Amino acid sequence: MRRIVKKILLVLLVVFIAIQFIQPARNASNQVLPNDISKLVKIPDSVQVLLKNACYDCHSNNTSYPWYVNIQPMGWLMAKHIKEGKAVLNFSDFGSYTNRRQISKLKSIVNQIKDDEMPLSSYKWMHKNARLSKEGKDLIIDWMNKTADSLSANN
Amino acid sequence: MKSIIICMAIAATTLAACNNSNNKTAENKSSGTDTAQAKPQAENVTATTPSVADTKATVSIKEIVTAYLQLKNAFAKDNTNDAATAGTSLESAFKTFDKTALSADQKKAFEDVEDDAREHAEHIGKNGGNIAHQREHFVMLSKDMADLIKTFGNGGQTLYKDFCPMANDGKGAIWISEVKEIKNPYLGSKMPTCGTMKEEMK
Repeated sequence: MRRIVKKILLVLLVVFIAIQFIQPARNASNQVLPNDISKLVKIPDSVQVLLKNACYDCHSNNTSYPWYVNIQPMGWLMAKHIKEGKAVLNFSDFGSYTNRRQISKLKSIVNQIKDDEMPLSSYKWMHKNARLSKEGKDLIIDWMNKTADSLSANN
Repeated sequence: MKSIIICMAIAATTLAACNNSNNKTAENKSSGTDTAQAKPQAENVTATTPSVADTKATVSIKEIVTAYLQLKNAFAKDNTNDAATAGTSLESAFKTFDKTALSADQKKAFEDVEDDAREHAEHIGKNGGNIAHQREHFVMLSKDMADLIKTFGNGGQTLYKDFCPMANDGKGAIWISEVKEIKNPYLGSKMPTCGTMKEEMK
């Protein structure tokens, strides 16, 4: 019996070590691309900081990775989240959306923040910086609404 | 040694399988809605000689309008699951819409709306059980539909553009209806008759 337990533990260890060699590609372009939202509209610093801390890890081309990304399967999970996040909203590619879609996205962001759906609670649990205060939420919501209005007026 | 290798292989396959099982549920829903789009696209047959001046007669967005109205009626009845089903059929109505008869300008106008509306429809389809969130997307979807109908006509039936000032957190929102009486899709049974008809879309 003891030998079997030992064997199983050994196998798990081997698997754990083996998967460490499968590292997903990093999401880090390290530059502000021409389609970045900041090139389209002016973002006040106070809002920019909040967006960066609470949203950009999964919704931009630049993730600021924690140390445990190097430990699998954590890195895989992160890669999956980032891929899904960017598919629905990518601030680094915001300028490529149609005007209609940009406005929609901003309004959807307001809804998600107001309903406390975003940032994800699992993410907030690991990232203290991503927890938005009431004031922080209001600041983002207010700015998103204003920006959505100005984008509608442009067309 | 041999058994260790076998165990490793089993562990690896299990890991891989876990990863894949998550995304399946959402996709399965769409298969039930096929009957709704199976109707032949007879309307589009007449579109062989498109004239720019006469968009509304040559192209019909009937399937899209029908799916939207289904969605609207599900919301009016506070039925989140029917709304999800209708959302999925609306998404596929957009997907299967035949754009070949459209001129370059029309195509651009259509795709501008499609791009946005499809995403809302898909989202509503995936969020059965969360009617508040579904309705948030319905606000934006309805605006898209109003614009689409303005360009491409009503698909053969008289439609009405209604407005409720209380919807959308007091910011107000519109919707499109096939009946003259008000049946509010945002407030449902809470305030079924809240709102006014703003426009008849002939």
